[in-house]
Amino acid sequence: MDFPDIRWDIIWNYKELFIRGIWITLALTIVGYLGGIVLGLFLGMGKLSKKKWIYYPSKYYVDFFRGTPLLVQILLIHLAIIPAIFGHSLGYFVSGCVALILNSAAYNAEIIRAGIQSIEKGQMEAARSLGMPNNMAMRHIILPQALRRMIPPLGNELIALLKDSSLVTVIAANDLLYAGKVVAGAYSRFWEPYITVAILYLFLTFFFGKIITYVENRFSNSFVPKQKKGMFSIRR
Amino acid sequence: MIKIQGLHKSFGELEVLNGIDYEVKEKEIICVIGPSGSGKSTFLRCINMLEDVTSGDVFIDGVKVNDAKTDINAIRKEVGMVFQQFNLFPHMRVLENITIAPIKIKNMNPKEAQTLAHQLLKKVGLGDKANSYPEQLSGGQMQRVAIARALAMQPKIMLFDEPTSALDPEMVNEVLDVMKQLANEGMTMVVVTHEMGFAKEMGDRVLFMDQGLLVEEGTPEQIFNSPQHERTQAFLSKVL
Ligand SMILES: Nc1ncnc2c1ncn2[C@@H]1O[C@H](COP(=O)(O)OP(=O)(O)OP(=O)(O)O)[C@@H](O)[C@H]1O
Ligand SMILES: [Mg+2]
Repeated sequence: MDFPDIRWDIIWNYKELFIRGIWITLALTIVGYLGGIVLGLFLGMGKLSKKKWIYYPSKYYVDFFRGTPLLVQILLIHLAIIPAIFGHSLGYFVSGCVALILNSAAYNAEIIRAGIQSIEKGQMEAARSLGMPNNMAMRHIILPQALRRMIPPLGNELIALLKDSSLVTVIAANDLLYAGKVVAGAYSRFWEPYITVAILYLFLTFFFGKIITYVENRFSNSFVPKQKKGMFSIRR
Repeated sequence: MIKIQGLHKSFGELEVLNGIDYEVKEKEIICVIGPSGSGKSTFLRCINMLEDVTSGDVFIDGVKVNDAKTDINAIRKEVGMVFQQFNLFPHMRVLENITIAPIKIKNMNPKEAQTLAHQLLKKVGLGDKANSYPEQLSGGQMQRVAIARALAMQPKIMLFDEPTSALDPEMVNEVLDVMKQLANEGMTMVVVTHEMGFAKEMGDRVLFMDQGLLVEEGTPEQIFNSPQHERTQAFLSKVL
């Protein structure tokens, strides 16, 4: 094996590029994630609908976005669909966000559908028997319980989306991976930029992982609010 | 008050109710007994349309319940239901469990709803549990909250589907006592139960169901002391 002597100064010279890359990756991930949850909520409920004109579009949407590569979706949206609608490109960021929202919505839809279905039938029946219309029961009774059960899989989805967001590099989005590519291209060196990119992604996933764990603990199985620390905890 | 005519219900191929006719009068306590799988729950659930009926009609106060033009939610406001498994909302405190329906459906103001909830909790003997979560309560307490929750809509009719079957024996009476109190206040009640003691003591009429049919109907004395039908006799000899 032939290891080159590592030159970290290259990375340092491009630090602004990497920092901007981190921000853009974060922005894409967060916009894609939140948008994907909102859209996924409607799709997930759509897949539970008894009305065929709601069920089938939701189902085909989910099938399409889960059944085709995200990379292809990004190219289609950026190069074909958005120019066809607006007459010109809206830039990589808009295309990237749209692609990530549409894609993650399909995965979230399945999580949300499963979460809603996991709530005992009796909950809906009790709500309906009190005279609540279906939507009201969904909003006040079913979703608050289902959302808790969705937290772990939705957390996994966040990490997956963070990593998948690197695919927008293909449309020259200035994301984190793209920063690495630029440096690699400029110097024809690959170790430093891609190791740096890998480490930075690792930091980001670690950071998101911490947030997820916090949220999971906060909304653990019990609905009873946790006692404030110190009241009943055994002191060392 | 409740009029049931030629009620049929099938789940796919399976015929669960095979033509039931019955009329419940105001302030009557109707106890429904019968073997497991005979269709008692289905019968009860057809009254408030938790199950849609296959054929036949259900009228409440003269309004046809199984009519597409009927606002089923308006009917359900008048018909409270208590389930075997309580079905309290676990993410809400006891107080919210009781107030959510009046606030959201009847637009009752929250203060008023809370006052009502506290009164109802006192009535079911749980005045001190308003701020508990369901998981912090025993089965008997949960079922009493469930009764209070249904009463908060100030219904004219209460349906009970084996309200004590999921309870430990020592908790059965606390729930039955609340139901007796309710009966004495003149509530119209349809109670599916395995508690023959309750049926004997409180029932105005007892209905014996078997295989989707209303086999026999009468006063508790008639049904328990001199059942006319073979199947009623066979069932009672097993459970008494
Ligand atoms: N949603 C459903 N889908 C299919 N079959 C059902 C459904 N609900 C009930 N059944 C069937 O209908 C029949 C009557 O059920 P039902 O629950 O009304 O009986 P029950 O008299 O209440 O019995 P138990 O005393 O056990 O509660 C049973 O054979 C049951 O399996
Ligand atoms: Mg039953």
